[in-house]
Amino acid sequence: MCRLYLVDDDQDVLDSLTWMLTGLGYEPLGFLSADAFLSSVDITQAGIAILDVQMPVMDGSALLSHLTTHQSPIAVIMLSGHGNIAMAVQAIQKGAIDFLEKPVDGDKLLLLLGKAKIQTKLNTQRNLDREALETKLATLTPREHEVMEKILEGKLNKVVAAELNVAQRTLELHRQKVMQKMQVSNIAELAYLMGKSSEY
Amino acid sequence: MAFAHTEAVLSRWQPTINRLSTDLDTQVQLIALTPTELDQAVEQKTVDFIITNVLTAVSYKREHGTSSLLTLVPLMSSNPAFAVGSALVTRKELEVNSITDLRQLKVVSTDRKAFGGFQIFAGEMAQQGLNPFDDFKQLDFVGFPQKKLLSLIESGDADIAILPTCVLENAIKRQEVSATSLKVVLTKPSAELHCQSSSTLYPYYSFSKLGKTDHQLATKVIKSLLSIQATDAAAINGQYDSWSATVNDSSVFKLLRQLQQWPFVTNWTSIFKTALPWVIAGFIFLFLGYLHHLRVKKLVVLRTRDLKSEIYQHKKTQDALFAQTEQFYKAQRVLLTGEMASGIAHELNQPLAGIRYLTQGCIYRLSAEQSELKEAMTKAIQQVDRAQETIKRFRNFCHQPSVMSYCDINMILDDTLTLMAAEFSRVKLNPQLTLENISISGDASLLQQVFVNIIRNALDAMEGVATPQLFVTMESIGDQVKIEFTDNGKGLSPQALGRLFFPFETSKKNGLGLGMIICKRIIEEHHGEISARNNLDMGLTLTIILPQE
Repeated sequence: MCRLYLVDDDQDVLDSLTWMLTGLGYEPLGFLSADAFLSSVDITQAGIAILDVQMPVMDGSALLSHLTTHQSPIAVIMLSGHGNIAMAVQAIQKGAIDFLEKPVDGDKLLLLLGKAKIQTKLNTQRNLDREALETKLATLTPREHEVMEKILEGKLNKVVAAELNVAQRTLELHRQKVMQKMQVSNIAELAYLMGKSSEY
Repeated sequence: MAFAHTEAVLSRWQPTINRLSTDLDTQVQLIALTPTELDQAVEQKTVDFIITNVLTAVSYKREHGTSSLLTLVPLMSSNPAFAVGSALVTRKELEVNSITDLRQLKVVSTDRKAFGGFQIFAGEMAQQGLNPFDDFKQLDFVGFPQKKLLSLIESGDADIAILPTCVLENAIKRQEVSATSLKVVLTKPSAELHCQSSSTLYPYYSFSKLGKTDHQLATKVIKSLLSIQATDAAAINGQYDSWSATVNDSSVFKLLRQLQQWPFVTNWTSIFKTALPWVIAGFIFLFLGYLHHLRVKKLVVLRTRDLKSEIYQHKKTQDALFAQTEQFYKAQRVLLTGEMASGIAHELNQPLAGIRYLTQGCIYRLSAEQSELKEAMTKAIQQVDRAQETIKRFRNFCHQPSVMSYCDINMILDDTLTLMAAEFSRVKLNPQLTLENISISGDASLLQQVFVNIIRNALDAMEGVATPQLFVTMESIGDQVKIEFTDNGKGLSPQALGRLFFPFETSKKNGLGLGMIICKRIIEEHHGEISARNNLDMGLTLTIILPQE
């Protein structure tokens, strides 16, 4: 079951929303402030957060920014009492799944939660992939890194060898090492892997 | 001295002059002069000796230094010191018992300079506190000869004639008037004079020499005149007895003084001459005064115009300030209304959201058989939606969209400070400004609201602080402008600081708690940010960041 977090400074609203979501089969965790949320939730884990925009000290959009900058996999749905287009655009740009006006209809929210579930899974997967890639990249020596870059540029072995001022045989050894460490069998696979990483 | 009838005067005195010519063995010329001519002659010293009445002699003595040498001894008086007076002649049937009776009578006289004919009696009246020019029913000067006056009385054209003594008696003697028709009234008894007099008596004619006349000549003349006997042709023709040494003329001095105190004998010429420089000075003074008056008047007109224009300018400035204040408060009212609507909407929205969530939560918990309940609850949700729609419309209606234009922050801040000048002077605060010339795209009247709200909050926070200080700094950072308001007031508790930009949050007794939320809204509409932090020592700093154009 995917974790669902609710953040709203109004206790009554929080309770009633919890009641509705429980009715829908979720087990939401409510927080009265952004601080309370951050201090008790591990934001590196997958989850869904429904955030109120208007909150004291740290408001919903600030919390969203915080999650985004920390590359949290948590999928965010923003709720606002009186939102405007500018706020909505800003929220979406920061990575929110949607920006809804309060009170949100249960059925509509159910659909979004479905989306969010997928999103947080994707986010988690993406984080895992990125971490794996980073681990692989970390094993490369600086020379191997250099060689990999040149190869990805589509240069021939002998050209790269000339540029790096090494024997072609040496270069081939480097290249073999890179393929081995990056756990790919051909250049196309390596290119795909590296290309995907630029999306993160 | 002669009033009229020069021939009569000449024929009376010529024998005396002839006698002098003979005795002195030189040519002596006799000239008859009217009082005015005589004044001139004496002043210009064209004559050597004068024969005048005593009053004239005495006044010349004072004014021109003549010396009285001899007095004429008359025929009809035994004492030359008591020889001339005034006689009031009237008809026999007229009763005049006191000087006050004269008030009802028409009076005639020969001339105002006539000695016995006017001046002596005028002196007499002055002594009684009367004025001959005012205190007769009518006073006319009819001129010479004197007998004309007598006929005027006889015919009834006048009631009283002022004449020298003996005129009436002589006329009766010459049978010119009837002895029974006329009489002298207010008579005073006199032992010396043989005629009736209505006044005290004065000495007879006086013979004087001018100051310049040689004393040896004068001695010879005196000798000659003193030698004249009553029987000589000179005395008979001259109608006198003889000449004598000058008699006591102190009474004449008294008369002169009395007359000079009265305006009717004022020596207008001499007064005019002495007064002329004063009069001219007076006129010059008045003229200068008038010029001064004109100048002052002109200055007053100029100053008034200046003052008027100053008042006008002042009024204009005041009106402008007033209009600005008015506009400010209007804008504030609109903003407050909008924010109140927004706040109320928010406050109602929260419980409505709660109801909707709870209702929908209930629906999700219903089993398939409970369709009736589900229907009712769905209707409840529709009611909530309806209420929310109404609130939303209300909020949108009250929302005031900002009008962006190119504006100078410096100027907005300046206007704000002017608007609040009275409040600054009340707490004796002089805001410290560090400004830059920065222009942005914004709504000037809304930004002014922000500044006023922030400054007013700062002033409230500094209430009770001994030396309040407010710093306003403006700084351009990249494509943003940072405006900071720093006060040294009470600052805010962490809790209050957290809820500073929330509606209906206030620490003030009469505050609505909408000021800062309005500020936040406005700044956000300008795509800017507003934040607050407590200073390290004391007070609060509010920071506004606005994008620069």
